[in-house]
Amino acid sequence: MMSGVVHMLTENLPVLLPLVVIQIILMAAALISLTRTKETRGPKWMWVLLIIFVNTLGPVAYFIFGRSEER
Amino acid sequence: MQWITIYKKEWLEMLRNYKWIWVPLVFVLFCIIDPLTTYYLPVIIEATGGLPEGAVFDMPTPPPSEVFMMSIAQLNTLGVLVLALMTMGTISGEKKSGVAELILVKPVSYFSYLTAKWAAASTLLILSAAIGLTASWYYVQLLFGDVSFSAAVGVIFFYSLWIAFLTSISLFMNAWSRLPGLVLFFTLASLMIMSLVTSLFSNDLAWSPARLSSYLRSLLITGEVPVDLWYTSLVTAALTILLLYAGTKRLKKSSRLS
Repeated sequence: MMSGVVHMLTENLPVLLPLVVIQIILMAAALISLTRTKETRGPKWMWVLLIIFVNTLGPVAYFIFGRSEER
Repeated sequence: MQWITIYKKEWLEMLRNYKWIWVPLVFVLFCIIDPLTTYYLPVIIEATGGLPEGAVFDMPTPPPSEVFMMSIAQLNTLGVLVLALMTMGTISGEKKSGVAELILVKPVSYFSYLTAKWAAASTLLILSAAIGLTASWYYVQLLFGDVSFSAAVGVIFFYSLWIAFLTSISLFMNAWSRLPGLVLFFTLASLMIMSLVTSLFSNDLAWSPARLSSYLRSLLITGEVPVDLWYTSLVTAALTILLLYAGTKRLKKSSRLS
């Protein structure tokens, strides 16, 4: 059964690829922004973990709440 | 002239804090997630353990227009939340940090300050929604079947009015309160009240902005713009202008007080 799922995933890769690409770009953008800001709300390492391990929601939460100074 | 300067300043700020990257991406994600999960539902059920032995579960494939409407529904919940979160601090934050005073000391009218901010936020959000809905249309076309492209463009057009209206609510609330949290609360609360009142008096309020997305469904199915939708968008546009005007008044008053 598992091999069937793997087969289906490889077969539908062009359809599913954008989903993965978007999440990777979001994560990368959040990490780049994180290295450039001096101060964040809460410890930086916590944001790194959130951005990497909580997909989509992690980077979005960082962009909305993470930076203490907007500019 | 000064209007364009503020507009450009807003634009630059949104570029610097990555809004031009993450908002479009997140909107695309919101829009394509439902067509994809609906299409792959049988596979997802299989992969997560499958149905119990002997259970017969016939899953009907929803019509293409319904799948496209799922993206609209997604934007109406998560998209609106992102909109409110994104704009909650746009004036109130500047009031708090003193940037607003810095700008308004110069010969800048309150009206251009508010409307330029509104226009900049609306541009970003409308473009993001347009990209997202186009992606959704592409997926629906690929996985489910035909939805006429002109109807989809119509949906995007009318939905833009809705977004501009939502942004104006948020900016109006921004003019009222210094606290971003309160702005968020009042924006979402007023939306809830509006949809509640609209559903309570649905016979009298046929042209309420809250009904805009329900008319979009008939636009998608029939391919023609229903008459009610035209009136609804007129009301929506009028309310947007009214909110911006009232917001300007309030902003003037509050700065005279402080």
